[in-house]
Amino acid sequence: MNAYFEFHNSVKLLCGELSLERIAIELEHLGGRAPMLLSDAVLEKIGTLGIVRQAMEAEGCRAACTYTDIPVDSSLRVVNEIAALYRRSGCDSIVAVGGGSVIDTAKGVRLVLSQDTDDILAIGGVENLSWNRHVPFVVVPTTAGTGSECTGVAVIRNEANGVKMEFLSHYVQPEVAVIDPRMTAGLPPKATAGTGMDALCHAVEACTCLQANPLSQAYGTAAIRMIAEHLELATKDGSNRDARFAMALASTMAGIAFSNSMVGAVHAIGHALGGVCKVPHAVAMTILLPHVMRFNLEKCRDSYAALLPYLVGMEQAMVTPAEQRAQASIDAVAALARRLKSICGLPLTLQEVGVSREDFEHVAQVAVNDGALIVNPRAADEQQIIGILNAAF
Amino acid sequence: MKRLFQKFTIGVVLHVVYAALVELYRLDSRARKEMDALPEGMSYSITTGHKAPVLNVQWQQGKLSSLVQLAEPVCSLRIKSLAHSFRLFTGQMGLAQAYACHAFSMRGEIADVMKLARLVNLVEGYLFPPVITRRILVEIPPLQVSSLRVYAAILCGFLSGRYKSL
Repeated sequence: MNAYFEFHNSVKLLCGELSLERIAIELEHLGGRAPMLLSDAVLEKIGTLGIVRQAMEAEGCRAACTYTDIPVDSSLRVVNEIAALYRRSGCDSIVAVGGGSVIDTAKGVRLVLSQDTDDILAIGGVENLSWNRHVPFVVVPTTAGTGSECTGVAVIRNEANGVKMEFLSHYVQPEVAVIDPRMTAGLPPKATAGTGMDALCHAVEACTCLQANPLSQAYGTAAIRMIAEHLELATKDGSNRDARFAMALASTMAGIAFSNSMVGAVHAIGHALGGVCKVPHAVAMTILLPHVMRFNLEKCRDSYAALLPYLVGMEQAMVTPAEQRAQASIDAVAALARRLKSICGLPLTLQEVGVSREDFEHVAQVAVNDGALIVNPRAADEQQIIGILNAAF
Repeated sequence: MKRLFQKFTIGVVLHVVYAALVELYRLDSRARKEMDALPEGMSYSITTGHKAPVLNVQWQQGKLSSLVQLAEPVCSLRIKSLAHSFRLFTGQMGLAQAYACHAFSMRGEIADVMKLARLVNLVEGYLFPPVITRRILVEIPPLQVSSLRVYAAILCGFLSGRYKSL
């Protein structure tokens, strides 16, 4: 265990039935009366955003401005544009409805506004910001995977160099996160499976990286257990509200876990794959997780072995010989991914998502400069990362 | 008295770290590759605590220079206390451990810190004995020349006044 660790989670969680209907009163308590509503075009089209808007308006809270052009892979430019629009529109708070891209964009906007700047690039860094202007901030996740509603990091693409940049500060955390099972009810099976694997990846890396601590491990292992029990069910039967709710909570818990202990090489390489080859984040996590676990195995025997009861249940873990438990954890993760592939066609190789071997060198060059790599239990240079990519091809 | 001693020690180690970076550019191909990849004008500032030693370095025209003052470093690291700096610069704590323990804050791009981290890991690999590097480095870098040669080069450099801050 590290001789020192920090744990921070200041997000108020509204979980379960009729959570959306409480947004108006929560905003009012935070001093927000004219929120900017942020989302994406798909969520607007399929009516998810409408459900939130209706719930807010029914309680007398009307958005002063709505922006739904946030792309799948948002960018620093989009963040700065939205911040300017916020100021022009006289908004006083933010409500973000969406998956990782929308929420991370909203976090970036909130940073720009609260730090009184026009350009998010000017405030990049790690734990370098002071509390400045208060901008009430509520998020409503619509996927069960990113955990972004509770994390102290915003990952936003820099269009200039194609690199996904991380902005780490506790001040990017929202004040309120709304976990309402209605928000993930319409998620297609492949997205359910992919985002669920993303949450699993957060939990596994949070429990095993160099910054892991007892509190993040408590959240991480609880998340792993819920994911192992509910992800297949939520993928097979999207109308199962209990499975959906369990996955939403697992995602949030995994987010709290990794926000307080970082992630590792899966994310470092995954960010690079996203930046260079446009591989969706959740897909990259699904493909890379077992391969990076194999790479880390020599340094993580004990920590991987400790995850086995949460992945396969206590009984099965107990009948697995102690020296085989670490490998059994990796096998359990790989087996879960394969079952999800058979249910919904979730891709399991880089080849399936159109990555070419010619891209590996560039991906590796970007990955070694990703901050997540610093806390990976095993150092990885460009050649070793290319080895992982080859294994995942 | 303790604080004075810590400041003095950190000041000396920072000089040696800078000198090692200069020498490793000649002696180690990985260090050379890292520095050659730095953009012209890239600068780092490392603050080690309140009224404590500062290391400012800048990459200009293929050379790493130490500067007395750096108005706007591209990347600045601020170690949160002198006590943490002392641990970091005396081989009691590695950079990865320091990060894991939230021992520093940073302004700039994380990618730039990763470049510096790889260089510092190399420096530590040469300057500290294996008994220390096994404890503080996630992986010990293989040495391309002997540590003795690096120390000798640094000594010569100090004697010739090569590391003077600008």
